[in-house]
Amino acid sequence: MKFIASAAAVLLLSSTAVTPQTLDDLKNDGKNADNILTYGMGYHQQRYSPLNQIDKNTVRRLVPVWNLSLDNNWGEQAQPIVYNGVMYVTNARATVAIDVASGKQIWKQTLEWPPETPRVVCCGVSNKGAAIYNGKVYRTTLDAHVVAYDAKTGKEIWKSKAAEWKDGFSLTVAPLVANGVLITGISGAEFGVRGFIDGWDPETGKQLWRHYTIPARGEKGNETWPQDGNAWQIGGGSAWITGSYDPELDLMYWGIGNPAPWASQSRPGDNLYTSSVLAMRPKTGEVVWYYQFTPNDAYDYDACWELILAELNVGGKPRKVAMQLNRNGFLYVLDRTNGALISAKAYEKMNWASHVDMKTGRPVETDIAKSIREAKATEHWPSTRGAKNWEHAAFNPQTGLLYANTLHEGRMYKHLETKPHVVGQRYMYIENLPLPRAAGEPVGHIEAIDPLTAQKKWRVPLMDFQIWSAMLATGGGLLFTGKETGEFIALDADTGRQLWQFQTGSGINAMPVTFTQNGRQYVTVLSGVGGLYWNIAREQLKDKVPPGGSVWTFALMPN
Amino acid sequence: MASLGVAALACAPATAQSPQLQTFAPQQLKTGAEIYARNCSPCHGARMLDPQGASDLRKFPRGERERFINSVTRGKNQMPPWGGLLKPEEVEALWAYVVAGEKS
Repeated sequence: MKFIASAAAVLLLSSTAVTPQTLDDLKNDGKNADNILTYGMGYHQQRYSPLNQIDKNTVRRLVPVWNLSLDNNWGEQAQPIVYNGVMYVTNARATVAIDVASGKQIWKQTLEWPPETPRVVCCGVSNKGAAIYNGKVYRTTLDAHVVAYDAKTGKEIWKSKAAEWKDGFSLTVAPLVANGVLITGISGAEFGVRGFIDGWDPETGKQLWRHYTIPARGEKGNETWPQDGNAWQIGGGSAWITGSYDPELDLMYWGIGNPAPWASQSRPGDNLYTSSVLAMRPKTGEVVWYYQFTPNDAYDYDACWELILAELNVGGKPRKVAMQLNRNGFLYVLDRTNGALISAKAYEKMNWASHVDMKTGRPVETDIAKSIREAKATEHWPSTRGAKNWEHAAFNPQTGLLYANTLHEGRMYKHLETKPHVVGQRYMYIENLPLPRAAGEPVGHIEAIDPLTAQKKWRVPLMDFQIWSAMLATGGGLLFTGKETGEFIALDADTGRQLWQFQTGSGINAMPVTFTQNGRQYVTVLSGVGGLYWNIAREQLKDKVPPGGSVWTFALMPN
Repeated sequence: MASLGVAALACAPATAQSPQLQTFAPQQLKTGAEIYARNCSPCHGARMLDPQGASDLRKFPRGERERFINSVTRGKNQMPPWGGLLKPEEVEALWAYVVAGEKS
C-alpha cells in the first residue's frame, strides 16, 4: 500500500499520530517499548521486556507514581494494554482507559450481567484483559459476549453474543488479534459445554468462523470419544487463556482445557482435543497440527495456559519451539512448526505418571493413576490445580530460562459416580480433599527453570501462600510478580533473591507489565483479590487482606 | 411461591426446636446430597469438609433455616442466586442435607 501523491503521503503521515496501530504494530509488539499491544507482551507471550532503566541497583528507588481505584470487589487479573500514552484495563465489571502519565481516568464503560451468571463461572469472576486494533478496544464479558469500544471515547461499537451463559458458557479470556481476525475462546468445561474458539470480524463483530475443540461425528478425532451417547457434545475443552501467535508461520497456539466431567469413566478414549494444544490458522480456524498432553484426562489437567514461543538451541540446532509448564507436572517443548515433541521433563513432584514416552508423546501412567481411575480415594500429585496454574511464566531470551510461580500441592482425590448431565449445571463428579501438610513442606516455589532439562537454576520455596500472579522478566535482570498478601515484589533474576517490595491495597493475582513514556520506564500491576486462589485461601486471609481493585504504577524516584 | 409459603409454615415449628429433634425424610436428604455434590461442593467443599473460601456450612446455625433459604434463593455476598435454578423443595432438601446429611 504505497501512496504516490504527496498530499496523500502527508495525509498518511498526519494520520499516524491518531491512527490506531496496525497489524505490523501488533507483530512488532515489544520493539516499541512505549506500547504494550498484545497479551503476553508480544505475540510470543514471553512476558519479557529488554527495558533496563530499572535494574538490580536502581530498583531501590522504585516508587508508586499513581494509583487508580477500579471500584470493584470481584478481583483483578487483567494484563493492561498500553497504546500512545493510554492504558486500557479490564475486570469483570468494567473497562477503563487511563492516562499513563497522570493516572487519571479518561473513560470507563461498565458492564451489566445477570447476578446469576457467577453460577456458571468455576474459578473467579474476573477478566484477563483487552485487545487493541485499528482504533478499537476489544474484550469479553462474563455472560459470554464479545464487545468492541472506540479506543478514544469508550463508545460501544458492537457487541456480539458468543454463547448462552445459562447453558454453562462464560468468557474471561483476553481476545487475540491475529492476521486481521479477532479471536476468542470460551470457558465452561466444569459445566459440560462443548468448547470452541471463535474468529470475529474486528470491524463489525460478525462471526467469521467457529472451531469446536471437540470434533463432531464424522470428523477426525471424534473416534476418540464413545460412539454411543453424547459424551462428545458435553465433553468440555474450554479455551480460557489467549493463544500465542507466530506471524511468520501464521499459526496461533491455543491451549485446550480439560474434558468433562472430571471423573473419566463415562468417556473412555483419548477425548481429543481436550488437554491439548491446537496450532490453528487465524483466518479460518483450520487446525494444522495438535499435540495432546494428557489423553483421557482424569485429573482436570487443563492445558489452557501460555504456550511460550522462542528459539532454542536443541542439540546444536536452533529450533522454533512452543513451551508449556503444563498443569500435569511436565514441562513440554514442542517444535512449533509441526508439533513434534522435543522434550517433556517433570518439573514438580508427581505420582500419576512416571515419564512421557518420547516415541508416542504420551504420559506413562502409574498405579496411582490406576487407583484414581478405579474411583478410589487416592493421594494425587500434582493436584487438580496443577504443578502450575494459569499464573503465566516469563521467558528471558538472553538467559534462555523460564521464570515461574509453581505450586507444590497434592490432594486426596476421588472420582464419584457420574450422573446425567444437566445443561448449565456443574459436571465434575469428584471429591478433592486436602492432605495433611508435612512440617517444612512448601506450598509452592518461585523458580528459574531450564526449558530442555527442567533443571532449576534456583528455587525459592513459599511457606505460607502460593503466588497466583504472572511473572514479568526484564533486561534489568529483574523479575516482577505479586503476592496474595498484597506485596508487589522485584527479584534478582539470577538468584531469586528479593530486592524490593511495595505493599498494595489488596492481594495481587494479576499480570505485571513494563513500558516507557517520554523515556521513563514504568511498571504497572493490578491489585485486588479474586480468582481461584482467593476462593482457596480466603479463609486464611480474609481478616488481613481486604478486597478492592486498583491500578498501581511505579517508576524510579529521580536521583 | 405458594409451595415455599406452605413449606415454611409447615417447618416453622421445627426451626424453634433444637437440631437433634429435626428429622428429615431419607429421600429428601438424598436429593439434598445430590444437589449439594453437584452445585455447592465446588465452593463449600466435598461433603462440607473443605469449605475453603465459601462459608463453612457445618457451622451454619441450625435455627436459621429462613436465612439459609433466603441466601440460597437470592444469593449472598459472592454467592449467586440459585432461585432461578433450584425449585423451593430442592432448596429445602439442601437445608435438610446441611442440617442432617453428614452426621457421623
